[in-house]
Amino acid sequence: MKRRFGLMFFAFILILSLGLAGCSNESGGKKTGGESGSDGGSSSGGTLVFGRGGDSTSLDPAVTTEGEAFKVTKNIYETLIEFGEQDTEINPGLAESWEESPDGLKHTLKLRKGVKFHDGTDFNAEAVVFNFERWKAGNKEQFYYYNSQFGDVIKEVKAVDEHTVEFTLNRILAPFYKNLAMSPFGIASPDAVKEHGDKFIENPVGTGPFKFKEWKRNDRVTLVKNEDYWKEGLPKLDEVIFRVIPENSARLNALNTGEVDIIDGVNFSDVEAIEGNPDLQTFYRPSLNVAYLGLTNTRGPLKEKKVRQALNYAVNKQSLIDAFYAGAAEPAINPMPKSVAGYNDAVKDYEYNPEKAKELLKEAGFENGFEIELWAMPVPRPYMPDGKKVAEAIQKDFADIGVKAKIVSYEWATYLEKARMGEADTFLLGWTGDNGDADNFLYVLLDQDNIDSNNYARYENQEVHDLFIKAQSTNDQAEREKLYKEAQVLIKEDAPWIPLIHSEPALAGRADVTGFKAHPTGSDELATVEFKK
Amino acid sequence: MEISTQKQMQPPVIKAEEKVTSPWAEAWYSFKKNKLALVGTGIVIFFILLAIFAPLIAPEGINDQKMSVRLQAPSADHWFGTDDFGRDIFSRVVYGARISLWVGTFAVMGSIIVGCLLGILAGYYGKWVDSLISRIFDIMLAFPSILLAIAIVAVLGPSLRNALIAIAIINIPNFGRLIRSRVLSVKEEEYIMAAKAVGMKDSRILFQHILPNSMAPIIVQGTLAIATAIIEAAALGFLGLGADAPNPEWGKMLADAKQFMIQAPWTMIFPGLAIMLTVLGFNLMGDGLRDALDPRMKN
Repeated sequence: MKRRFGLMFFAFILILSLGLAGCSNESGGKKTGGESGSDGGSSSGGTLVFGRGGDSTSLDPAVTTEGEAFKVTKNIYETLIEFGEQDTEINPGLAESWEESPDGLKHTLKLRKGVKFHDGTDFNAEAVVFNFERWKAGNKEQFYYYNSQFGDVIKEVKAVDEHTVEFTLNRILAPFYKNLAMSPFGIASPDAVKEHGDKFIENPVGTGPFKFKEWKRNDRVTLVKNEDYWKEGLPKLDEVIFRVIPENSARLNALNTGEVDIIDGVNFSDVEAIEGNPDLQTFYRPSLNVAYLGLTNTRGPLKEKKVRQALNYAVNKQSLIDAFYAGAAEPAINPMPKSVAGYNDAVKDYEYNPEKAKELLKEAGFENGFEIELWAMPVPRPYMPDGKKVAEAIQKDFADIGVKAKIVSYEWATYLEKARMGEADTFLLGWTGDNGDADNFLYVLLDQDNIDSNNYARYENQEVHDLFIKAQSTNDQAEREKLYKEAQVLIKEDAPWIPLIHSEPALAGRADVTGFKAHPTGSDELATVEFKK
Repeated sequence: MEISTQKQMQPPVIKAEEKVTSPWAEAWYSFKKNKLALVGTGIVIFFILLAIFAPLIAPEGINDQKMSVRLQAPSADHWFGTDDFGRDIFSRVVYGARISLWVGTFAVMGSIIVGCLLGILAGYYGKWVDSLISRIFDIMLAFPSILLAIAIVAVLGPSLRNALIAIAIINIPNFGRLIRSRVLSVKEEEYIMAAKAVGMKDSRILFQHILPNSMAPIIVQGTLAIATAIIEAAALGFLGLGADAPNPEWGKMLADAKQFMIQAPWTMIFPGLAIMLTVLGFNLMGDGLRDALDPRMKN
């Protein structure tokens, strides 16, 4: 009953928001149009409007794992270590240099001097310690990404002097520096955290190139230039506005009319038209994602390994790519993309073979097939621009081997929550890597520790778990890669998912935007972006 | 029609044979003269045949996906082109006739049955029964009908069957009011008075005398209502609250096609035309019936 009322409520809200969206688009359009008109003449950096599909869930990156949140906070906060421009190599960030003890358990970081938070307070070792203690002291629900990445590994964080911090670990954590560079671990101003308390998620204060100005929920987040930014000459823009335009085609329209300057979530079928338009340009985000169909391992016929393998044989991935990704994607074999170190090339995919699939179903005792639910996500994601269409194609593939699938969809937050709790039979989902390490795909998505968390398929295998923990606890890169490769073989055999696709998400911008670099993690730094004069 | 005319003519009467015809036969005569009504009936019959013989007419199934021929323009192989799954749109439109006619007919039948019952009760018994039922109708009519349908489907959960139920529910007050007003006037007629005087039971009076004498406006209203029901089903389908995935419901086909409106307009044109034609057919037929059956429309 509760769900039904929820749905009903949702339907009303939908109608309401459709109406409101109509109004706000118009007024918003005029306003920004006027603003960008005035930049042309003056020597200022101007206002960049970034159009995206969904609103941030929070402006405190530490309390979320959701990409739309990081997209904004990446420009307000900085991390101790920074990723490269378009890769996930580790580079100096708020820490200028670092040193590791021979046993790998002590890490000493030298911090950058003369950096100030937006509220004027100094960035120093005390501030770093304060942030880590805050995440550590908070409960698991609140800082759940911290808990899954560092939880019981960080023993102590100590300020050695004004500009030196020392981390002591319980065991070796191989991706330690990569984890430090992840957006959720941006360093916040201790004064602001204390001052705003519960309201900190809407009053972010960091050291980044832009300062927070205003957040109108489901409409826009406005950031303004940080005049005292420590990087000389940056940022180039005066103001950045992140606007929410849920519908892919409406967002593209807004770009066409100049209401927005950059958009993400471009339909692959629209890319050709954008490239043919001299006023526009396309950007590609280097691929660091995987789209999959989770086969919840604890439900009905899906408990059987043979059934899961049969479903793997049934899906024609290449036809999905041709139809819905305009070829800008490749079929996924393992749960992580090829660019991640430790990817196992030797693993062979279950080829598209309905006959083989039927045979396996017969062996498993489901000669006459069965009925299941197939969940399709209601929103476009970078790894899957149109979940419902992909679901319809997979439904047909399943029907060919006698499995009758009913397509089901919920509102996005409900969808994630229910799938996380194991209520879906099969569900479409995906993941964009946050630090480019194999650990951030395999352990996060498929370890038994993460059931009820990101292991939505509820896959459990002790042997795989042991391999993951071993790989976390050694710094020998070659050894780690060997362990992950081994794990991928076991995972392929168990078939907890149907890995579908690694895509190269497309973005588009007005032709006068320069210096924009789409980052593989999905959080783009906008400090170097400017308008061509 | 012929038979009933004969029956009427059996008792030896004095008047000229030509003139004594049943009201039904008379209606049929004036309906036949109405060209537009005949065109409408033709369209309706065409779609009914299409629905019945869909498996023989459609060259392909409703969900034969062939990604290699997706979004192809109409050709000899695919008369109406193909959609983004490479499915033959002609076949889907043909099968879609089954869904639309099924939803239209059964939804309207449902509203007629429930609406008549409530309307008769309200009209015949009057007093608080009338007030109660009429106020419920007023409340239902106060909602924009599609909004009410959306709310009902949202509560029941989206599916074709629930869309049918929702459409049936929102049309109940129209029939209820209609029948109530008929009952109010018929019940004052002398033959009803007579029946009452003889001591006939209420139920017999209601179902043997009042209901048959109120049929004509219901047939007219029912035919026109099928047209609106088809549109409402398409609207629900378009909003994703009607038929589920592979079913070729016309409204859903439109929703799936809107993304390709410019690139592949045939994905929209044909299901749209199908909706337009059936609705037009039922409307013309309904108008013709009204002209034929309503005594006031006679010159």
